[in-house]
Amino acid sequence: MEELAGRLTALDPDAGAAVRVIAYFDRLAESRVGLEVLVRGAAVLAGCPARLVDEDRRVHVRVEPDGTRRDTTAPPDATWPREPLAPDGTGTSAALWLERDTDPNVVDAVILERAAGAIRQVLDRTRGRARAEDPALLETLLDASADERARLTAAKRLGLDTADPAALFRAVAIRGGRPRVVPAAAALPAGRLGVGPAVSVLELPRSSSAARTALRFTAEGTPQDPGSSIVYADELGDLALLERLVAPGSEPTPDMRALRKAIADAPWMLATLHAVATTVSLRAAAAEMNVHHSTLQHRIAHAESLLGWSLRTPHGLWRLHLALVLRHLAATTHPE
Amino acid sequence: MAMAPPPFDPELAAALAAVAGHVPSTITVEWARRAREQGEYGVRDDEQLRRDGRFTVEERAVPGPPDAPDISLLICRPAGAVGARPVIYHTHGGGMILGDNRVGIIGALDWAQEFAAVVVSVEYRLAPEHPHPAPVEDVYAGYLWTVEHAAELGGDPDRIVIAGASAGGGLTAALALLVRDREAHRPLGQMLLCPMIDDRNDTPSAIQMDGIGVWDRGSNAVGWDALLGAARGGADVSGYAAPARAADLADLPPAFIDVGSAETFRDEAVAYASRIWQAGGVAELHVWPGGFHGFEGFAPQAALSQAARAARLPWLRRLLGE
Repeated sequence: MEELAGRLTALDPDAGAAVRVIAYFDRLAESRVGLEVLVRGAAVLAGCPARLVDEDRRVHVRVEPDGTRRDTTAPPDATWPREPLAPDGTGTSAALWLERDTDPNVVDAVILERAAGAIRQVLDRTRGRARAEDPALLETLLDASADERARLTAAKRLGLDTADPAALFRAVAIRGGRPRVVPAAAALPAGRLGVGPAVSVLELPRSSSAARTALRFTAEGTPQDPGSSIVYADELGDLALLERLVAPGSEPTPDMRALRKAIADAPWMLATLHAVATTVSLRAAAAEMNVHHSTLQHRIAHAESLLGWSLRTPHGLWRLHLALVLRHLAATTHPE
Repeated sequence: MAMAPPPFDPELAAALAAVAGHVPSTITVEWARRAREQGEYGVRDDEQLRRDGRFTVEERAVPGPPDAPDISLLICRPAGAVGARPVIYHTHGGGMILGDNRVGIIGALDWAQEFAAVVVSVEYRLAPEHPHPAPVEDVYAGYLWTVEHAAELGGDPDRIVIAGASAGGGLTAALALLVRDREAHRPLGQMLLCPMIDDRNDTPSAIQMDGIGVWDRGSNAVGWDALLGAARGGADVSGYAAPARAADLADLPPAFIDVGSAETFRDEAVAYASRIWQAGGVAELHVWPGGFHGFEGFAPQAALSQAARAARLPWLRRLLGE
């Protein structure tokens, strides 16, 4: 009978296509189908592979237009049409993609929107609610001045397990996004992160404040902004005290001025000084910089002449490291 | 009391809704007449059958039954095959009233591609213009020709698998009975996919699915009435018309039978498998939960369709010794 009836296939962008897409996904959502069925629906109706990735929740589903499941760990192409699964600024990159290399079809947007809507419901139902969805609840949870009962209620409504008094959580400050709260043993969200200490639910305001401090010590991890993109408050120790001393945009100290002058002198300077300050030996610094040992020696000599102090003594290295940290904290291109 | 029908598999149900409107659950004689006038179904394009040169394709007129016109066989042979290859003798579906030898050919070609087999798909005369036994005798004549000419086609006459879906499944089951009773050359196996085999049309599944899904009880009545006329459902219907009527199911080639749990043909297919076992025969039965009639064709990408397709290959592999 099948040839007599036509079959479910990629839709031409005609007037009825959007209606059929909506009806198809509404029906699937009503029947509470799983993720693969929804991703397959997107692939079949679009006529190209569809891919769901939610790193936070360890979800990878990729389906070919013939319906077969074929997952991959290769990163999605930035040019493919996509629909994010969480609102902007929540620090998660979860999304549904159509692997469309040609011009996007006008039906694509409808397919992505309806499929992603149904996928969000399944993820919330089966993988736990995406945290940080309600900013007001999160604000209450992380506010030390809020009533304890209100904070516990907020925690419950955010899906945190508050029944176990031994359960520990971390606040995570995210550059360019709202903070998140994750169980202590859970994976961290994507992005540039300050990670608070593991605490009980009612201590989360403290974890959050430590996370915000830690975030100020993070860097992009590029030659222009070397350093770690994830900083744990626990590992920061008393270095955290520096954060209170130097506000973004504050007046540079003499060492900071010397450092600024040195950095402006050569494109390799900042990354070289960072490597020298953060590795245990010049040999390790040379390896990290991927330069020959003798090249590094020349560079250090040049830097010393610009800075005005030696980089071959523990004291000189400590002075360099401190100047680097203060400069980083004073930079105004910083997260907040 | 009519029991509630089993629910459709959700993915299949959404696909059915999306293509709804093409075929009503209950077809009428008038609808079938218009469908025949309007449409040519199946794969029309030989290029598509050739599959990038994997097959050579020809249509051949061969003698029909005695005193009947020639019949047309669509023959697809694997390119570059060595030795005598298995043969799939295919009979198309369409409720005994619709279709031609290019309907349902995709599935047969998939198997042929897997095993470098020859496909022979028979064109038979359709009811109601040509009632029983015209269709099944055409299918039988085409089979005899295929046995005699298998070697010429690069095929192995001892490894012919007869196969069909829906009405084609019913005709395939009938062919197996005819071959046994007329002592013709036996096929190696029979593949009966959601087969239409019982003109009485009164099983619990037929009653449950009345008015629902694809090829419901009313559609089934239209098909059988066309084939059998007033004799339909009476005491004198031959097993060569409706294989469920055959008194003896012993000594048949091994059968592969599949069917959906949510279709008219569920109970007759399950009963046919049971009766083969009771007669000391060999059968493999798959009942796909929530499958409506022909689900695999409507939504080939669905998980259940993939599973149904995948289940057939191991059976063929064991049977063919490939």
